[in-house]
Amino acid sequence: MIESKRRRRLIANIATYFVLATLSMFCIGPMIWMFLTSLKYEADIVTQTMQYIPRRVTFDNYVAIWTQSSFPRLIANSLVVTFLTVTICVATGTLAAYAFSRFAFRGRTQLMLGYLVVRMFPAVMMIIPLYVVMRGVGLVDSRFGLALAYTSFLLPLFVWMLKGFFDSAPKELESAARIDGSTRLGAMVRIVMPLARNGLVASSVFIAIAAWNEFLFALMLTTGQGSRTWPVGLQLMVGEFQLPWGVLAAGGILSILPVIVLFAIVQRTMVQGLTAGAIKG
Amino acid sequence: MRAVGELSETRYWMYLLLLPSLVMILLVIAYPTLYGMAISIREMRLTRPGLGGWVGFKHYAGMWSDPVFWIALKNTVVWVTAAVVLELALGLLAATALNRDLPGTKIFAVLILLPYFLPNVVAGHMWALLLDPRLGVINDLLVRAGVLQTYKAWFADPNTALAATVLVEAWHGFPFFALLLLAGLKSIPEDLYKAAAVDGAGVAAQLRLITLPMLRTVIAAAVILRVIGLVNSPDLLLILTGGGPGDATQVLSLYAFQTAYKEFNFGYASALSVVMFVILMIFAAAYIRLSRITKGEGDD
Repeated sequence: MIESKRRRRLIANIATYFVLATLSMFCIGPMIWMFLTSLKYEADIVTQTMQYIPRRVTFDNYVAIWTQSSFPRLIANSLVVTFLTVTICVATGTLAAYAFSRFAFRGRTQLMLGYLVVRMFPAVMMIIPLYVVMRGVGLVDSRFGLALAYTSFLLPLFVWMLKGFFDSAPKELESAARIDGSTRLGAMVRIVMPLARNGLVASSVFIAIAAWNEFLFALMLTTGQGSRTWPVGLQLMVGEFQLPWGVLAAGGILSILPVIVLFAIVQRTMVQGLTAGAIKG
Repeated sequence: MRAVGELSETRYWMYLLLLPSLVMILLVIAYPTLYGMAISIREMRLTRPGLGGWVGFKHYAGMWSDPVFWIALKNTVVWVTAAVVLELALGLLAATALNRDLPGTKIFAVLILLPYFLPNVVAGHMWALLLDPRLGVINDLLVRAGVLQTYKAWFADPNTALAATVLVEAWHGFPFFALLLLAGLKSIPEDLYKAAAVDGAGVAAQLRLITLPMLRTVIAAAVILRVIGLVNSPDLLLILTGGGPGDATQVLSLYAFQTAYKEFNFGYASALSVVMFVILMIFAAAYIRLSRITKGEGDD
């Protein structure tokens, strides 16, 4: 009886590891293959017999994408757009998230629902009018304009996520500070912000990754070198110059490197924030 | 600083806190949305600035007799359904395995979540390389395993193009389900399973009688968020197939985007996206109502 129970447990454990290993391979296998491709000579990529392990390794592809294309410029633009987006969201969204988390006031529920419904708007539905409006005020092909456009879908997301983190910061310390004569502003800045620091960082990283990765808005709203971000630039290079696979793979690896590093650093807190909203309903 | 501190003591403080983000939202969401709806009943083509003016519901009527619209609508339903079902199944599998908390689970969790955070552009080209008709490693593996005779052009064959894009989408999206479902599983009390085991319920019975009912809210929330995301974003299809071959992978969001981006027909593109939004709203309302009804029955 106990013997068979132990056996069943062992089988279940083996099955679990098998599932986890298979799914992990499915998830990162393609990335590993892209990385291996980026290290191959073009002749070894386009061969009759597939080379699973590269016989010779080269960094030429990385040198090529960095020196022979506008890639550094694209990356710089993406950095600026991402930085601007995060700045706008943090500056305006933190205050809103705090208000939603700590105060009861007329219209609160409706307003929060409004922030949620906004996420249902199709990207195209926003892109067209944004393009027309921004062309009117000279913000097409501008990094600031693109950051503003990103705010349209990232600010509501940021507010919801951060509100969850504020909700889970204990209110007692805040009350104590208020009793000690601190103003509401003082309590917010000195007590709540430090308590929710990890959440603030995780929420910021989440929207930073989204802004860094974004493709569709950027494709429509950037027309030239001045503001084009890397996803658009890479996509256009593929179409225009028949980019060799190795060089494309190298570009892909370079551009997801910051994402992977940031994700690895804050993934725990970020996962908490992403799930909190959906679980509570 | 002191002045602001005093201001924070007034009863208008929360509205002041909300003001900056509200201004932003009115500026970049509310105004463009209303303007977009106005564009959908106007003639607006950037290539022909001479055209203009109100045309009423002309674009909406035009959709009725536009064969591409109907193909795209059908493809949207098929594509979204297939992707969501596949992602839900994979997500449930991953969440159940991760929830057993065996040693090393944390590493697996990070690896499994990673695709969700990767950019569409990279995901698209990565899979295009894997499935390439001349040098795709998946083709090579399938030929070696004897499944295929020769390499296959997955994205160029109308019969497989949609399925191939669903696979890529599932790879990209299933971690989202795994994430939410895992959190849902963690909130189910362990005692329920113990009690069921004492009563002699097997693994299948436990899944049917405890896990799925307890997860219903989470599944409902995850499905609706994912459907919204899938219907609204044409990125991956734009990169992988551009809607082709023919219109085999043309979906509504992509059709609307291309109408705007390639043909500069902003009026028709806006009308398409408004219709898409309305369909999505109806779906969301119906879905929420349905999942509430079943919930009520389950409680009885």
